Amino acid sequence: MLHLDKVSVRYGPVRAVLDLELAVGQGELIALLGPNGAGKSSTIGAINGLVPATGTITLGGEDISRLSVEERIARGIAVAPEGRRIFVNLTVAENLRLGAALRRDKAGVRADTERYLTLFPVLAERIGQPAGTLSGGEQQMLAIARAMMSRPRVLLLDEPSLGLAPLIVTRIFDLIGQLKSEGLTVILVEQNAAQAMRFADQVCVLASGRISYRGTPRDLAGTDVMKLYLGGA
Amino acid sequence: MTEYLIQQLLNALAFGAEYALIALGLAVVFSIMGLVNFAHGEVIAASAYAALLFAGLGLGAPLLVIGLAIAAAIAVSVTLERVAFRPVRNAPVTTGLLTAFGVSIVLQNLFQLLISPRPQAFPALNGLNATWHIGPWAVSSLQVMELVVALLAMLALGGFLGRSSLGIAMRAASRDFATVRLMGIQANRVVAAAFVISGALAGIACVFILARRGGVTPDMGFSLVLKAFVACVIGGFGSLFGAAAGGMLLGFIEVGLLVLLPQEMGGLKEALTYVIVTLILVYRPEGLFGSRRDLGDKEF
Amino acid sequence: MMTVQSVAPIARPLRWWARGLAGGALTALPVVLIGLAVLLAAPGWVQHLTTMALINLMIVVGLQVYSGNSGIVHLGHSAFVGLGAYGMAILTTPLAMKKLSIPNAPFGLSAVELHWFPGGLLALGVVWVIAWTTARVIARLSGIAATIVSLAFLIVVHSVFLHWPALFKGNQAFFGIPKLVGLPGVLLAAVVVILIARLFRDSPGGLQLRASAQDQMAADSIAIDSRALRRRAWILSALICGLAGVLFAVVSGTISPRLFYFQQVMLTLAMLILGGMGSVSGAVAGAVILSVVLELIRTVESGITIGGYTTPTLLGLSGVALGAVIVLCMALRPQGLLGHQEADDFLSRWLRTAPTRKR
Repeated sequence: MLHLDKVSVRYGPVRAVLDLELAVGQGELIALLGPNGAGKSSTIGAINGLVPATGTITLGGEDISRLSVEERIARGIAVAPEGRRIFVNLTVAENLRLGAALRRDKAGVRADTERYLTLFPVLAERIGQPAGTLSGGEQQMLAIARAMMSRPRVLLLDEPSLGLAPLIVTRIFDLIGQLKSEGLTVILVEQNAAQAMRFADQVCVLASGRISYRGTPRDLAGTDVMKLYLGGA
Repeated sequence: MTEYLIQQLLNALAFGAEYALIALGLAVVFSIMGLVNFAHGEVIAASAYAALLFAGLGLGAPLLVIGLAIAAAIAVSVTLERVAFRPVRNAPVTTGLLTAFGVSIVLQNLFQLLISPRPQAFPALNGLNATWHIGPWAVSSLQVMELVVALLAMLALGGFLGRSSLGIAMRAASRDFATVRLMGIQANRVVAAAFVISGALAGIACVFILARRGGVTPDMGFSLVLKAFVACVIGGFGSLFGAAAGGMLLGFIEVGLLVLLPQEMGGLKEALTYVIVTLILVYRPEGLFGSRRDLGDKEF
Repeated sequence: MMTVQSVAPIARPLRWWARGLAGGALTALPVVLIGLAVLLAAPGWVQHLTTMALINLMIVVGLQVYSGNSGIVHLGHSAFVGLGAYGMAILTTPLAMKKLSIPNAPFGLSAVELHWFPGGLLALGVVWVIAWTTARVIARLSGIAATIVSLAFLIVVHSVFLHWPALFKGNQAFFGIPKLVGLPGVLLAAVVVILIARLFRDSPGGLQLRASAQDQMAADSIAIDSRALRRRAWILSALICGLAGVLFAVVSGTISPRLFYFQQVMLTLAMLILGGMGSVSGAVAGAVILSVVLELIRTVESGITIGGYTTPTLLGLSGVALGAVIVLCMALRPQGLLGHQEADDFLSRWLRTAPTRKR
């Protein structure tokens, strides 16, 4: 579905991502783990186009690496960004509506709104409230629901556990697992390795802009990669 | 006495409506791209010169002039964005402010250079300015129309921002432009929409200014825009509601001073207005309706 | 044992004021050279133009003191120039002239004629009082609100000049001010002002103010009182502009309100932007370059004769040029020609790389 070939990101002299190779199949969830500054968010930025990068990125066989952010989103990439970045001055309903801004099928949009409000009932309770009044966990759910409103082919999830209580994190990962089980392709960037590995088909550990380990969660569990990069499990 | 008071009230409302229209044009652009558009006044002046040009070509029927003036204002506004403001779109606020200041200077002097430094008469819209008798009172038709049109324009703007997808996207962009792009909404479209709205508001304001003054000067927009800026600042910069309310308040302050000041001090009206406004800011540095954005919101 | 002798001696860093004085002197050097050259060799009208240009240079430096260090665009500095000029005019104009121009001045000012030195000091004193008062207001605001209020201040002062004819003669010219100062005096004042501005920039307060302009929150967190510093910069900037105004009055002998309004704001702002707000050297460079360029444009503006053909007068051309300078600078080089570098920064870098370059 999504292929990254020799993707590099540079900020001036600093190399944040170096010749990254990544392949995500339809319906797969791939987890990018690693410490701060490993290049995880830069990878997400390279895929969605907000961060200038070199190399080739293909989505369903089409080269998207020269496209603008907006064009990539239109091709089926959706982002639940780091720090959630919901529109605090808009209501929950308006946030969801912007998530579906590119869609023209009104009935479908309405159906999807219903669907995600059922999936995230807490959002339904607060549908008319400004999103800035939501709690951190609710905001994260809104960010995911907003991204899903575009019916994406690939969802980029950047640190959904950031700043949230463990119980909420589990709840959010349950929902991610459910979306995945319905056939969604996900690239997940996380610091919380234990949660990330619950549903991952593939795990890549990044360090200093390179993949230092790649494998299935089961392979990873026995190695000392966990201890080296992720501080145990 | 009541007649005098009613007349002054209408005066204040009409002036306030005009300032509010112009201030809204500034605030729409500022809230979305952080640009302090000093050249907004020159959009008004350009629209007036365009109307003059069209009238010279024989297109002087009032309705036609109004339509053409608004269209010209939109065209100029959008063109300025493409030519001058796009290169500094992501630059710091100061860079944008100075660019706009420079554009304003260039345009004012171009009007002088290409047309004339002297005022040009423009009588085509004088017909709008009649005296209406509503019940026992005689009121200026222009003032009533100005107030009504300004209110309609604000309602239309409110409806657009509240209901249409592009309007919602514009409100979202006023807080977080990058994430709006992550929704697949084109940045250029949102910015262009802001300049179209700003231009349309400038065009509407221009029609009323032309009708009232019956003439065009190169610097006609600049002093108005300064007042509109002051309206924005007292309302809270970037808040649309604040801009409209600030404009209205400014109208009332000005007319109030006009009524209260003795004749020989009438010249100081402007100075006193600015002093009052500045004093308001001493007590509320963030403006009357502004909020301290970096506090209180749950943002990362 | 360590071989201490073989280690290259580490130059002890200069104290800030020593470095500021030396750097300021370096910045002032070209100004002094140009000034002396004009003084010795140029005809009278060039000397007069140079004198006026130097006064503009002082205003630009004054503007830099506030805008350059606080990062806030200041559009009201010409009000202080005007206040200085009118203060000087009202205090030092001979009584006989005053009978003609402002016979009914309030506070008995029509009966006052001071020597230029106390007159100048008192005029600066007035500027200081007004600057001190406005500083309280302006320092509370930041960013755009401060810019707009500085503009409002300009309009208020201008409006008072126009509408208090008993004191300021309204929009008529105020004439008969004794012409006391020529190029040498203004040159000296310009050098002093450059040194003061540079010392302020390098002083601990100046550094803190520049830091708070870059990141207000970070500055707050290390207990920098940015409001107090903005006040200090505002007042110093006002005094420098006021001094330029005082000199303007006694150089030209005639003043009127419109001289201290948007035209001057635009001109000096364009100069500062061209050279670069971040440094005193930038202010000086911008003032020098634009003064020369503008003089050429003015010649074209008023119509030139080329082989029997006279071009029409192009009123507004210099304005277009000024605006274009600002717009182009912002699009192509927003930090100005010199960026945040002072002349001595360039010199020391050049000295450091010079030996390698020779090889």
